[in-house]
Amino acid sequence: MDFVTLGGNLLGTIPLGDIVLYLTPFNLFLFAVLLGFTALIAISKPETQVEASKFNTLGVAEVKVDEKEFKQRRFLSVICGIASAGAMITGDLFNFTLFMALVGILNIGIVSAVKQTSVLNSAFNYGLIAMMCSLPLFGGAAIILAATGTLSLAVLSQMPASPMVVFGAILMLIGILGESGVAPFFASKAEMFRTPGSPFIVIIHLSSLFIIVRAVEILLLVLW
Amino acid sequence: MLYVPQEFISMYLPAIYAGLIIGFIGTMAIAMKREEIHILILTDIVGLAMIFVVSAVGTDLAEALILPGLVVELAETLAISEILITREMRKIEQDPRANLTKSSSMFPQAFSLDMEIMTTAPNFIALVLIAYGIFLTGFTGGAVAGGGIVLYAISKKARGLPVLMLDGIAGVSGIAWCIWIIGFLLFFVAPQYWLLSLFLAACGLLLKVASKVGLIGLLMREDIDKE
Repeated sequence: MDFVTLGGNLLGTIPLGDIVLYLTPFNLFLFAVLLGFTALIAISKPETQVEASKFNTLGVAEVKVDEKEFKQRRFLSVICGIASAGAMITGDLFNFTLFMALVGILNIGIVSAVKQTSVLNSAFNYGLIAMMCSLPLFGGAAIILAATGTLSLAVLSQMPASPMVVFGAILMLIGILGESGVAPFFASKAEMFRTPGSPFIVIIHLSSLFIIVRAVEILLLVLW
Repeated sequence: MLYVPQEFISMYLPAIYAGLIIGFIGTMAIAMKREEIHILILTDIVGLAMIFVVSAVGTDLAEALILPGLVVELAETLAISEILITREMRKIEQDPRANLTKSSSMFPQAFSLDMEIMTTAPNFIALVLIAYGIFLTGFTGGAVAGGGIVLYAISKKARGLPVLMLDGIAGVSGIAWCIWIIGFLLFFVAPQYWLLSLFLAACGLLLKVASKVGLIGLLMREDIDKE
């Protein structure tokens, strides 16, 4: 499918050698929303929660995030936001997969310093799945490269899909599902945000949402 | 069009099949194993199968894709192992006595070898191994130096002395990573200093591989304790 059909009028291209970034209203909107949210995260303070299980003990049940952990988490959240914004605007198939893997690593990093062992456990399990899914993700992109000879989405969208490209796209879809923790792999990822420190934890959720939307666009571009 | 020999083209499909089959075997093995350190290592095998599939393309573009793939793979392994270490630290924090009784020991089983050479030679051999590893640099050097560190730890343990160094080794990995990245960056920013950046990257790798031995030692002990 042509990217103009999917994303609206072509506002311009940024040719960076082999990689050509194309700007459509769709991509720019996703990009701007993510950058805005990242800016909000960068200036916000962590929230304090009250643990529900401790209400009956009459003790102080506030769950606070200490200064050091908060700074590390904010830094990683901002990087995660920028990486997802990069995945929104990139015009290169392999760059998209790299941004995606980077978002996966940063998601693990954001929860890496929490105190709950159950959260760390699910982060570990999510990390294992993300690592295993890097095989279909990068493998699919490499198969598409081998079948068409290019990774530029602008060129790929003009090509008819051969069986090899379809196979590569299916592999990529499996990789995207695992890497963003949706469909059959959600259990560990959903448990990952059950921890205080809300404005930073939300980027885990938001980045995978946005990346799924962009992945649908990319798969449509490659397949049709 | 560039000329590509027929043999290279015919190698593509077998290479992809090999990569996918390795990945499949790796995931099967993960499904069977239950110890966390084994799962971590097996996941690395699946990641290496990814490098296999990417490198099967065989053009210079594929070569440019292998390196980021490898870096992402390494970063993921590091992130997951840091998670494992943090989790064990939290567990020890919640129950400090568990640390006093069980850990800081490479061999939970009774292990005694009363030989003269066990008390005199290991320090020297460990020193020689580490020095030789530093001289080699890179992957091989890291493995040799890591072997030296492990030998030193084992010999200390055999003499009944406390082995505390393994916890510190895991922290070196971050510094090694930075050295490697700086060396890599310098390659592109200032190509005329290629020798310096080569040495930076090699020393980073050396520390990296040597510290990985420490990491595996640290986790191995926890898995043994669990049983």
